[in-house]
Amino acid sequence: MKKNDVILIASLLIICAISLLAIKLWQKQSTTDKSYVRVEVDGKVYGTYPLNEERTEKIQFENGSYNVLVIKDGKADITEASCPDQICVRHMPIHYSDESIVCLPNKLTVTVVGGQENEIDATTN
Amino acid sequence: MKRKIISCILIIIFIAAVAYVLLSKRGVDDTDVLIQSSQRDSNKYTATVIDLFDTKTDIIGYTDSEEQFNKDADQVVSDLQYYNRIYDIYNDYDGINNVKTINDNAGDKPVTVDKELIDMIKFGKEMYYETDGRINIAMGAVLSIWHEYREAGLDNPAKAKLPTKEELQEANQHTNIEDIIIDEENCTVFLKDGKMSLDVGGIAKGYAVQKAVDKAKKHGISNILLNVGGNISCIGARADGTNFMVAIQNPDLESDELYADSFGIEDGTCVVSSGDYQRFYEVDGKRYCHIINPDTLFPSEEFAQISIVTKDSAFADAYSTALFNMTLEEGKEFISNHDGVEAMWVKPDGTKVYSDGFDNLVDTDN
Repeated sequence: MKKNDVILIASLLIICAISLLAIKLWQKQSTTDKSYVRVEVDGKVYGTYPLNEERTEKIQFENGSYNVLVIKDGKADITEASCPDQICVRHMPIHYSDESIVCLPNKLTVTVVGGQENEIDATTN
Repeated sequence: MKRKIISCILIIIFIAAVAYVLLSKRGVDDTDVLIQSSQRDSNKYTATVIDLFDTKTDIIGYTDSEEQFNKDADQVVSDLQYYNRIYDIYNDYDGINNVKTINDNAGDKPVTVDKELIDMIKFGKEMYYETDGRINIAMGAVLSIWHEYREAGLDNPAKAKLPTKEELQEANQHTNIEDIIIDEENCTVFLKDGKMSLDVGGIAKGYAVQKAVDKAKKHGISNILLNVGGNISCIGARADGTNFMVAIQNPDLESDELYADSFGIEDGTCVVSSGDYQRFYEVDGKRYCHIINPDTLFPSEEFAQISIVTKDSAFADAYSTALFNMTLEEGKEFISNHDGVEAMWVKPDGTKVYSDGFDNLVDTDN
C-alpha cells in the first residue's frame, strides 16, 4: 500500500464517520424539534414553549401567586412556586410525551406534547 | 493505473459495506421504535384532570378513535366526580349529603346519605378490624389537628410548630370506631360522639377508583389505565396486547433515579404507594408526613414508602396506609396472611424489601 492509499482510506473513513454522526444528530434533532410543553391555567391554554430552546418563564397570577417554568436540556421543570405545598417544585423535570407537572393550588398544568414515548404508562406517588 | 482504480473501488465497496452494516443495524432499531410508537400514537390517548380528590388524575387509554377515548374518559371522570363529592370531608355541595355533612352533624342527628357512602364507611370499619386499628376512619379529630398545624407550617415555614401531645391525646378520646352508627335500612350515618369526625383520606380514593373501574367494566370499557394521584388501576392491556407498564416513584426525590422499581401489570391489577415524601411539613428541619400512627398519634417514621400490589384498589389503598403504621415484621406477617396481596417497603435509607410473592404478581419481563 502506498502512502496515498492510506490517505484515501483514512479520508473516506472520516467522511463516513462524519456523515453517520450527522445523520444521527439530525434524527435526534428532528424529534426534539417537534416537542413542546403546553402550559394551562384553570383549563385554558396560557402558552406553549418548545423543548429545544432554553428559557425561564415566570407565570404570574393576578392574586400574586406564581410558578417559574424552566426549560433546559430538552426538559421542562418547575423550579419555583408560590404554592405552600411545593409539590410541583419537587416534581422531576419532564420530557416524555403526555408527561405533566401539576400545581393544584394555582390550577396550573405543564404537559409535554409530541415528545419521546415513555415506556412507563403511569407512576405511583 | 488500472490497479489503482480497482483498489479504489474495492476500498469504496468495503467502506460502503461497513457503513451499511452499521447503519442498517441502527436503522432496524430506529424503524422498530418508530413503528411501535406510531402504532401507539395512533391510538394511545391521555386525559388529565385536576379537580378530583385534591390530586392529579391521568387516564390513559388505547382506543380506535379519539372520540371513543373521550367518551370512555368522560364516563370514568363523571363516576370519580360523584365519589369525590360524596366522600369529601372539606367541601359542601348543593343537594348532596357527604362525609362533611355527617361530621357537621356529629352528636346531633343521623344524616341520610347514598348507599355508596354507607358502603365506603362499612369498608372503613372492616379495614379497622382487619388491620388491628392501624387505619381508623374515625380518627378525624386527631388528623384535623395535624392538618391545621401542617397548613400553618407550610404557609409560614419559619413558624412551623408541632401539636402538643396533650391536645392530640385529648382529641384521641373521640376516635372510637364504634361510635359510627350506620342504619342501613334508613340509609343514615350518625356519629354518636359530638367531638368526633370522619377522615376517609386513607381509603376513599382507592375505594372510589375501584368503584369507577367496576362501573367502567360494566360499560364495556377496556384497554384503559387510571392513575388517580398514584392510585393505579387498569382494565385490559395496551392495544398491542402487552401489559401496562407502571413505575414506583423513587421516594428520594433528590436522586437521579426516577423510579424505585418498574414492572408490567396484568388486567385488573392495582398499585398504590404511600409515602412521606410528597405531603409533609418541616419543623426545625425535621420532616413530618401526613400519615399519622393511631398508636403514637405522631407521623410514622419507619419507612419512606410502602407500595401495595393487588387486584382491588380499595384494599391496596387501605393496606398501604395501614402497613405504614406497622413495623416491617408486622407488615410482612400481615401480607403473608393475605393471599393475592404483595408489598414493597422502602426504608428511610433507601433499602428495598419485597414480600415473598411480589414477583409472581407483577410482570418483570419487559
